[in-house]
Amino acid sequence: MATERTTPIGSYPLKSFFDKSYQTPLWFKEKELSKKVLSQQVSRRNLLKSAAGATGVIALPVFSLDSQAQNSLAKSKKTDPWLTLEVTLAHLLPVSATGPSSADINALAYLYQVMTVQPTSAQEKEFIVKGVGWLNSFANSKYNKTFVQLSFDEKELLLRGISRSSAGENWLNTLLNYIFEAMLTPPAYGGNPNGIGWQWLEHQGGFPLPKAGQRYFELPSRGKAKNQIAIREIEPTKESNRLVNIPLIKRTNKA
Amino acid sequence: MNKITYDICIVGSGAGASPVAYTMAKAGAKVLVLEKGPWLTEKEFFKDELAISIHDAYNPKLSEEQHVIEEQYEDGDSNSFWQREKTSDSGWTWWNGNVVGGSSNFMSGYFHRLKPVDFRLKSEFGAIKGANVADWPISYEELEPYYAMVEREVGVSGRVVQHPHQEPRSTDFPYPPIAEVPMSLWIDKAAEKIGYHAVPIPRAVLSQPAMGRRSCEYSGYCSRYGCSSGAKGSGRAALLNHAVTTGNCTIKPNAKVYKIATDDTGKITGVHYYDAQGRQQSVRAKIYVVACQAVETSRLLLASKGKKFPNGLANNSGQVGKNLLFSGGGAGSGDFIYDQLNEQQVSELKVVGPFINRALQDWYQIDDNAFTGANTKGQAKGGTIDFLFHQNPIARARGTQWGLDNEGEDKLLWGEELKQSIKQEFTTYKTLRFEVFNDWLPTDDCFVALDEEVTDKWGDPVAKVRIGYHQHDLEVGEYLSVKAEKLLVALGAKNISSSVSGYPATNLMAGGCRFGDDSKTSVLDKNCRAHEVDNLYVTDGSFMPTGGSVPYTFTIYANAFRVADKIKQHWQQLYSSHLKV
Repeated sequence: MATERTTPIGSYPLKSFFDKSYQTPLWFKEKELSKKVLSQQVSRRNLLKSAAGATGVIALPVFSLDSQAQNSLAKSKKTDPWLTLEVTLAHLLPVSATGPSSADINALAYLYQVMTVQPTSAQEKEFIVKGVGWLNSFANSKYNKTFVQLSFDEKELLLRGISRSSAGENWLNTLLNYIFEAMLTPPAYGGNPNGIGWQWLEHQGGFPLPKAGQRYFELPSRGKAKNQIAIREIEPTKESNRLVNIPLIKRTNKA
Repeated sequence: MNKITYDICIVGSGAGASPVAYTMAKAGAKVLVLEKGPWLTEKEFFKDELAISIHDAYNPKLSEEQHVIEEQYEDGDSNSFWQREKTSDSGWTWWNGNVVGGSSNFMSGYFHRLKPVDFRLKSEFGAIKGANVADWPISYEELEPYYAMVEREVGVSGRVVQHPHQEPRSTDFPYPPIAEVPMSLWIDKAAEKIGYHAVPIPRAVLSQPAMGRRSCEYSGYCSRYGCSSGAKGSGRAALLNHAVTTGNCTIKPNAKVYKIATDDTGKITGVHYYDAQGRQQSVRAKIYVVACQAVETSRLLLASKGKKFPNGLANNSGQVGKNLLFSGGGAGSGDFIYDQLNEQQVSELKVVGPFINRALQDWYQIDDNAFTGANTKGQAKGGTIDFLFHQNPIARARGTQWGLDNEGEDKLLWGEELKQSIKQEFTTYKTLRFEVFNDWLPTDDCFVALDEEVTDKWGDPVAKVRIGYHQHDLEVGEYLSVKAEKLLVALGAKNISSSVSGYPATNLMAGGCRFGDDSKTSVLDKNCRAHEVDNLYVTDGSFMPTGGSVPYTFTIYANAFRVADKIKQHWQQLYSSHLKV
């Protein structure tokens, strides 16, 4: 499996979802998926914070999917990570009479596009793929099977189990976020075929919508730098004030 | 040295720059506009939540170009200190649309005028301790014709109604109001019931095709989305396109200006920029105009050091970057629960496309003994409350994956529970929001400086912004929020809440290069010409000593048209003296 072949490096030298050293990274916080962040009113004057909590830029190797994944999704999804991801997405948004399933909204195709076409951060892609490995290791330790071989109830128990860890909760939340995006973005991104998500939720999509070639990462590019000059790091100045879990304050602009 | 090729060189292309380009190109001057971002057209704006809000695709990546923000914190012993943080670490972008036309492409276009009182806050309400309040060197009457000009040339749709704080107007709106949702009438009725005056909001959105632009097509996604019909009065759609068609205006996109150079006598010798390929270029003109939005304008002047200007161009007063302004206030909301309403009401709530376009300005000046603000008589500058609906579905879905377990603890939802949660979020209620705009008092703790460590992708120091605020701003914001919440109660909304904070809305910035009569306390003269440099003007929102209690774009446009007339006179004088030679 792709994840097993890679030496753990960079931001995820973790062995499982339950590793105590895991800290929620900025790319995740920016998605504003945390209930605590959404509901918390933080008083700016009283907040004790330090730049020491910000870890700065960590050099990571460029993420690459294995050679199979460069082929079409149809071929790739027979193997991991896509096989496990498809089954996980189907468990998170199942087939039922109450609304579209992960297959109906093309959630896997959307996620495939996030991982192979959209300029998603290497850290996030690595986390998604590593999570597949951790999920299967956990399934193996509990049931001596891979995740896709489990019954519905076993899958449910296993996912509930990992959701009680910080890394597991963030991994599931990341997939749930992409389910939302697959359900509610313009169809050119690979999900929401014929606006099925909008119709289900009685939401009126806007117009005009982008087509392939007009997506956010395909807009005209910006001026080039003379030379790519490294950004110097700020030295932490108030080490003693460091808090481990700094909530990301929700800052919003006005209309 | 390069030859002088242009009459006017403008750095930036947004609401402060485009009126100058338009006026001068029409007058026959050769104009060059240098814009850091790409040149997009209507064909490159879509109703795409990923592009606009989730991936911020019309702005630089924070790893390439960023800011450093200084915030105040307290340690365990209640000692306060300023802590700096790079925006690439916090994820808090300070860019507002780096493309031709600038942030005006992405404005909502709420075009409230300032009112006469905004030009003389110090005279009207006196000094406020800890704030650097100053009167403007011009009056409302001097700016009024230019508000009318913007309404005509940029295109503002609206309707005049008499209300207690209606400012004097020389003309009616040139375009009728854009279409409204039924909620607009709900607000009118509820306001009347409780003695408020709901005011139609003038919008920089064409209600009829005009000036080569289509009218609004009512997609329901206006707000911060770029306009694909041309109805929204961005500097690009409304002014630059016309400037270019004169044959006198050249727009150079992907041109990042990093320095305005001066000789030993303080005379400008050229504007230096990186072109699209990253090559260093320079250009000369007879008159230079800077309009990069408040933070970046101060950054450019501070970075433009020379023998005569060791602290930055036009900064021997030390005032460049000082007294930066944002918008005080906050936001609130209330929900309309469908199963508590009749069928007609629900169908009216579900209308999507047209606009609410309602504001309250009953407390633009507070005169209330219960208000414990600056002055003992309960008199203070108040503000504006605007109402709106949000339409971003992904933002709305985020949060529906959270529920409670049997012990009342947060738990992630999936499966059938998740489906029900999403469905309930989208189909059982609608949220009406309000935003409060009140003055952000200028203080010594809100300013722009050059960062000493962090550079952008070209290797130049980025702007460091200290974002201190005055407690008075919160008091006014809270006073107004309570008034707004009362209207939501009268409307029958549930789950009413609001939040006022000292965090700046980074899309609403001004100040940093005050205009004034005294060169020791201001950067620009009353015509927005630098006190210290004869042929340098600043025409974005930087000039404002106080910012008023409405969004800035309309006033930036109006002032830029006013200054453009002065620049035209200046250029004509240069031209005629040249002819005499």
